[in-house]
Amino acid sequence: MLEARGLVKTYRAPAGPPIRALDGVDLRVPAGRVAVVLGASGSGKSTLLNVLGLLEDADAGDVVIAGERVNKQGRSARSRARGRYVGFVFQSFLLLPSLTALDNVVLAARYGGRGGGDPRRRARELLAQFGVAEREGHYPPQLSGGEQQRVAFCRAVLNDPPLLLADEPTGNLDDANGRVILDALRARARAGAAVVVVSHRADAVTDADAVYRMHQGRLADAPPIPEGGTP
Amino acid sequence: MIRVLRGYAFTIAGIAIGVAGIVALGAMAERIVRFVEGGDRFVLGQISVAGRGMGMGTGFTAGGMLPAASIRAIAEVPGVSGAQAQVMLPLNPSTSQFMTLTQELVLGLDLAVETPNRHYPRLPVDQGRNLRPGDRHVAVVGASFASSRGLRVGDSLVLEGTAYEVVGILERTLTAPDRFVVVSIDDARQQWVAKDPFLRTVIATGVAPLNAADLNTGAAVGWREGEDPDAVARRIAERVPNVNVQIPSELSQLLRSSTAFFSALLVGIGVLAFVIGGLSLANTVAAAVFERIRDFGVKRALGATDLQLGGEVLTEALVVTLTGGAVGVALAMGLGAAVDGWVARTGQQLFLFSGRLLGGALVFSVLLGAAAAAYATLRVVRLSPAEAIRRGA
Repeated sequence: MLEARGLVKTYRAPAGPPIRALDGVDLRVPAGRVAVVLGASGSGKSTLLNVLGLLEDADAGDVVIAGERVNKQGRSARSRARGRYVGFVFQSFLLLPSLTALDNVVLAARYGGRGGGDPRRRARELLAQFGVAEREGHYPPQLSGGEQQRVAFCRAVLNDPPLLLADEPTGNLDDANGRVILDALRARARAGAAVVVVSHRADAVTDADAVYRMHQGRLADAPPIPEGGTP
Repeated sequence: MIRVLRGYAFTIAGIAIGVAGIVALGAMAERIVRFVEGGDRFVLGQISVAGRGMGMGTGFTAGGMLPAASIRAIAEVPGVSGAQAQVMLPLNPSTSQFMTLTQELVLGLDLAVETPNRHYPRLPVDQGRNLRPGDRHVAVVGASFASSRGLRVGDSLVLEGTAYEVVGILERTLTAPDRFVVVSIDDARQQWVAKDPFLRTVIATGVAPLNAADLNTGAAVGWREGEDPDAVARRIAERVPNVNVQIPSELSQLLRSSTAFFSALLVGIGVLAFVIGGLSLANTVAAAVFERIRDFGVKRALGATDLQLGGEVLTEALVVTLTGGAVGVALAMGLGAAVDGWVARTGQQLFLFSGRLLGGALVFSVLLGAAAAAYATLRVVRLSPAEAIRRGA
């Protein structure tokens, strides 16, 4: 489960007034649920995702994942928590160009793995599950956008993280590939993960348990998601 | 590993060029240093004595003629262990060869007497043999002398109209003996007379009471164990009239000061090479790290700690720098071999790739590469993962 309380984040520019990207955001996403945050560009939704995933520090507020208040820990502990608890799906995939598809997926186990099992075998299973098994030896520039996003998704879920964060996951994909990723996110929720998707596209909300709207650093229309509610 | 190196191909090339510059310039400096050190070692191994005045003698025996009686008197001075008569002449006494450092010399040795030089009791022979007592019309030649003329053991060499058989070729010392033709003192005296019309006139007219044993341009003098060579040299100067005695420590100082300009120039070039090559290397390594800032952001997003990232970057930097350094060393050595092959026709060698230079260049490049990588990594890990990903994009 993910719980965020009173998140504040302000960017200070060399000139001009500071920008309050998060202005007291509260968010609670139980395990097994998909929450979608919609908002225009610059509304603060990507900052929210970064803060939730410990990619960026909040100025104030708490982030609690699986009962652990993770954002107040030291740098190394936060890094470990990121690897252990969070899986990311980025709009631009962010695969390492010097690694093959398979090695990109396995990379998640190197930093966030729990040490059990055979990560390469698990990575191959995931690649096969998403229809890119035959591309495991290819490098990212040799893959289509849809294939890259599927590989990136495999990397995000390799360690079975309890929290999955997706930033515009279908932003660079055609409808068919976008559907594959959204279905996969829903499947992860069914498997017990808390999933947060930020998007500016309405099609992202189709399978959502809750839809939030972000405007000027605040979450609006944020009805609570009931524990055990049906998607 | 190969994939990592392939990804860093341009970085490795950049490092290689920087290291090649350092090594090539360093090798030229080493060449000069070896020349100065070799000469220094030679002059500190003996007391060089010449006759007073000016004459045909050159090199360490520059000065007037040193008659046999003077050499006998020198041998009698307390503290002297032995005195070997020598004749040292320019091979070609033309103005085009006035530079002592590059001059080809004929060295005639009295083979009946042990060479008293403590550091060079025998000149090191690479091929063939050294001279023996009783040898006539045979020569041992220096490495540069041989290579510039394509001489091998058994070849014939004509000096002042007389054919000499080359019986030995000296090891390359990178100092003066590389340009020597070593013959027996009788042969050298014969050449001296042939070269010098004035001497021929003096001998023919009998205006000076000279015999063959008096035709010496100098003597190499040794000292007994426990004696201070400078003190022995001063004693010779006091007790034997009409001689020029080189005080070993003063001669060493003179040699060093005469090559000080070149040494300073080479040190300056070496320092410049280290600074420029080092900056180029450090900049290349740091740029390579900064180029991958997005990758580091992604790895941190996957849970990499600062320590893990730092270790990875440092390891990669070491491998890349070491590879670039090795390629640079190979590049410099290839370049040096090509240039030296070209100038060998004139008996020159411009580069000396000593172990200390190559090892030093590699250690320097690896340490600098590691420092640059560490600096860049510290800059990178200070960023939040999100910021690293943003900047990398």
